Amino acid sequence: MMKDITLGQYFPGSSLLHRLDPRMKLVLTLLFIVLVFLPQNWWGLLAVLVFLVLVVALSRLPARLLWRSVKPVLFLVLFTAVLNMLYVHTGTTLVQWGFIHVTTGGLQNAAFIAVRILCLIAGSSLLTYTTTPTALTDGIEQLLSPLKWIKINPHELAMMMTIALRFIPTLMEETDKIMSAQKARGADLESGGLLQRVRALVPILIPLFVSSFRRAYDLAMAMECRCYQGGEGRTRMKQLRTAPRDWLSLAVYAAVAAGLVVLNGLFGSVLK
Amino acid sequence: MPMLKAEDVRFDYEYENEAPQTVLRGVNLTVEKGSFVALLGHNGCGKSTLAKHFNAILLPTGGRVLVEDLDTADEANTYPIRRRVGMVLQNPDNQLVSTIVEEDVAFGPENLGLPPEEIRRRVDEALEAVDMTAYRDHSPHRLSGGQKQRIAIAGVLAMHPDCLLLDEPTAMLDPQGRQEVLDTVCRLNREGMTVVLITHYMEEAALADRVVVMDEGVVLADGTPHTIFADVEKMRAWGLDVPQPTALCAALRDRGIDLPADLLTPEECAAALMQLLTDPNHRKA
Repeated sequence: MMKDITLGQYFPGSSLLHRLDPRMKLVLTLLFIVLVFLPQNWWGLLAVLVFLVLVVALSRLPARLLWRSVKPVLFLVLFTAVLNMLYVHTGTTLVQWGFIHVTTGGLQNAAFIAVRILCLIAGSSLLTYTTTPTALTDGIEQLLSPLKWIKINPHELAMMMTIALRFIPTLMEETDKIMSAQKARGADLESGGLLQRVRALVPILIPLFVSSFRRAYDLAMAMECRCYQGGEGRTRMKQLRTAPRDWLSLAVYAAVAAGLVVLNGLFGSVLK
Repeated sequence: MPMLKAEDVRFDYEYENEAPQTVLRGVNLTVEKGSFVALLGHNGCGKSTLAKHFNAILLPTGGRVLVEDLDTADEANTYPIRRRVGMVLQNPDNQLVSTIVEEDVAFGPENLGLPPEEIRRRVDEALEAVDMTAYRDHSPHRLSGGQKQRIAIAGVLAMHPDCLLLDEPTAMLDPQGRQEVLDTVCRLNREGMTVVLITHYMEEAALADRVVVMDEGVVLADGTPHTIFADVEKMRAWGLDVPQPTALCAALRDRGIDLPADLLTPEECAAALMQLLTDPNHRKA
């Protein structure tokens, strides 16, 4: 049942997006989030949408992947849209029934926000689809390196992430085993109310915790055996290098941002 | 020349509210460079504890441990010692750090602060040495137990150690995985690596050129596999088994059949039986 888990969501490929420096991809993803929130009118939003389609095309990812990342937030999108529809009361009234008061302005707002959130999710999921978890961790470690000055050790954070990623499949497998073992001894995990089911999880979580601690102890010793002394004096086999394509992408994103600001100025705002 | 040397090593596990538990009670052991030593003993005899003394994971409470003349008690020696003496543990899952095979192998050399090109060279070489080059981009959790254990060995080899300590490396593997790991270890030994193998499998111990038996924190016996396993009675009294061919010969000898006591491998045993059966002078009713 848990055999089909993938580490992160990486989808192997060799597109331009796959080859970008992970640090730059992190920066670009943050920039994209800004881009999504810049437009104040439909022309701007259309520009963002076109840009997103272009980037997705460049990444050569199958569209169903993006659908997969968008699907779990559809409810949230719908909920936000409905709230906007009910609480924005500008323009002409379309429906007036009890507390339900829908106006053209409300509808416009709802649609705008929905498209915006969908773009946001689809765009930022590109990061995890095109970057391996290790490259991502390395990128985060290096981007956060200024934190050293406030006594936060980015190497330790990155190490924790790496180890967590490494042990997710191992612990999943173990959970599966423990569940089978407890079921074989008559544990009932599938019936009863919510409270009863939560209680049934205890005999699964406790052995899982105990074994995780044992693994942690072993791993710590294995790391010490391999001369691990924290981040001090450590080098990396794979060095991150920025290429012209990284700076070029950054320039494109900046240009799009500038374009969106211009569109805002030209067409004004439709948002309330 | 000695690679590892334990001189009257004593070790107590300290507990917070209980009396300390003595695990090693004066161990004297010298492991020569290039040798292949199998360390035997039933659970709790102190063999793993002794192994952890050889790479400065544990420090003796009495006596001293030398690794190529470096005293483990001196803190300045800790990392030079760990680089020279690599350790492989029982559970392959618990000693791999990274989600990608080659990055895991690089972990040790990265800790040594080597330049990237040198790390790359060592990683390629270590993966080649355990015959896992084809799996360099794989994720460890998709590999078999034997493959994972070979990756763990590669991770240690990439630090260019002089000695390998293997603490029951095959205990959690299936027969095929065990064979893969043993073949790798034997080959490394032939190429000059000092090997200390802790094991419960007597057939594995028979591969070594020296067998050391421990019990209650002391060394009980020390010799070649042939001399150690020849005394089947004594081995059983210590709670240990002997290789199956040796056991077979011992059982036949009990029935009055004239067979040598120091046969270890199925081949040796088969040859002796063959000789016995074809030689008319030895034939019994």
